Amino acid sequence: MNITSSLLSLLQGGLGNLAAYLAAHVLLCLVPAFYIAGAMTALIPKESVTRFLGRTAPKHVSYPAATLAGSVLAVCSCTIVPLFAGIYKKGAGLGPAITFLFFAPAANILALVYTGGVIGADLAFARFFLSLAFGIGIGLIMALIFRRSDVAHDKATDDAFAGELQTSMHRAALAFLLVLVALLLFGTLKIGLLTGSYAEVSLPVPGVNRFQEFLNRLVPFDAAKGEEGVTAQGAVLIGLLILIGVTSYKGMENIHSGFTRWTWVALGLVGLTLLTAAVGMRPHAGGLEILFTGKFFGVLLALAALGWLLRRRLSEVEQRDFLWESWRFVKQIFPLLVVGVFIVGVVRVIIRPEWIEALAGSNSLQGNLAGVIFGVFMYFPTLVEVPIAKMFLSLGMHRGPLLAYLMADPELSLQSILITATIIGRLKAWVYVFWVALFSTLAGLIYGSWVDGTSVGRIALYLGLFLVALTAGLWWVSRRNQALAVATD
Amino acid sequence: MEIKVLGPGCANCKRLYAEAEKAVAQSGQPATITKVEAMEDIVAHGILRTPGLVIDGKVVASGRIPSAAEIVTMIMTAAAKA
Repeated sequence: MNITSSLLSLLQGGLGNLAAYLAAHVLLCLVPAFYIAGAMTALIPKESVTRFLGRTAPKHVSYPAATLAGSVLAVCSCTIVPLFAGIYKKGAGLGPAITFLFFAPAANILALVYTGGVIGADLAFARFFLSLAFGIGIGLIMALIFRRSDVAHDKATDDAFAGELQTSMHRAALAFLLVLVALLLFGTLKIGLLTGSYAEVSLPVPGVNRFQEFLNRLVPFDAAKGEEGVTAQGAVLIGLLILIGVTSYKGMENIHSGFTRWTWVALGLVGLTLLTAAVGMRPHAGGLEILFTGKFFGVLLALAALGWLLRRRLSEVEQRDFLWESWRFVKQIFPLLVVGVFIVGVVRVIIRPEWIEALAGSNSLQGNLAGVIFGVFMYFPTLVEVPIAKMFLSLGMHRGPLLAYLMADPELSLQSILITATIIGRLKAWVYVFWVALFSTLAGLIYGSWVDGTSVGRIALYLGLFLVALTAGLWWVSRRNQALAVATD
Repeated sequence: MEIKVLGPGCANCKRLYAEAEKAVAQSGQPATITKVEAMEDIVAHGILRTPGLVIDGKVVASGRIPSAAEIVTMIMTAAAKA
């Protein structure tokens, strides 16, 4: 193979991957997810969660509250770090702070929805539940190991956590958030009611056939390898996305100086894009057949309700904050995601499936460790871990090691370890890294053996034995520390 | 008057800084605006969510971006007290 043709195949790999990620089913999950994240940030009063994270809160309240704060309040590291520092220094202490730190990047709404949409709902659920259990577990362990330094920690007032009771969410804001979730479900659920077609219209668009053939030549794909090509619908959607980008930049960037016509044009285009993604399209010789699916009507209904709530029921400040936060997420995450997906597509052409299969093709300890180690040493921007996991999956990685990788990657990167170390100290940070690596490996093994068909009872037994051994070990350590402390006092 | 913008340098902090600059110009009050970027100093103000806005040592907003018009009102309130 000469250099030009191999470069060409790399380029086609990148483009093909990008096109597949901008296809209809991904848009229907990702676009609503960005708006849900924006609405959560702008419309949920922070005090409703943070008042459970004060120094006086009992453990059975503060740990679950820390996970709630992680999934609801924090999507990007620029909110995770201040909240983490605040919980640690002024609030509930090291344990809940660690729980929050572990849970926030792995199980926030964007990460979960995207994992579910791209890889499968089973993996999203596993990621959520195992992060929940292990996040609280690691928090408790860290609090136990470093109990003495935690008690000695500054006992400053926790004014920041004092909750005012008038801060509950008002009804319209809650309804708005719920309709957004409904929009996401209408777009992504694969049930007959939604995927079935109820009306069909044939549009005489000449040349659709040739356009589709052109697209297939531009981005050749192999359905057997799980690759997706670009459909005519996909091409229209990509065009619409570019238009949304341009109009949003004009309409959202200076939204603090007031709404302009561009703001509403951009929102209209978002609605149009979602509707285009929701219909089924079938190109044929004479033109284009459009299938109005249940999905289409669901999305239409949700969009109408959202438009009405936004215009008539939310205050101007809420409208502005909601649009700004959503746009900020898109601006911050989407470009990196596009670049990441393209690079993943290029890399995929180079990696041989045999390598992955040899390393992590089965649910072994070695395979799970490989997943975790890759996750620790690689740093990928928010959400890019998902397409990477998808690539590994299609190259033959077992779902167990895949989960181990997905648990370890967002929590641990050299960058986040260094930030954490400046807040809680180097020793605590590395102990935390050790526990995350251990628990991620374990999570992969557990989930992997479930995928392989081991009964739930046996898994629970193994997990129980492990936890008993762990608790006994920790208890012994804390006893010894106490004895030492008494001896030195 | 002393105005501080708290935040580690993310998009929202920069936006708040710009809004605060606009507000100071509109209010006509003599004021200095400083950025506070060290996490230690931010946490010391007792806020949990960045960006934070502090006028004469008092936290007036956190976790959101008040518009320039809103900040002008805050500046006027603080000026009336001083």
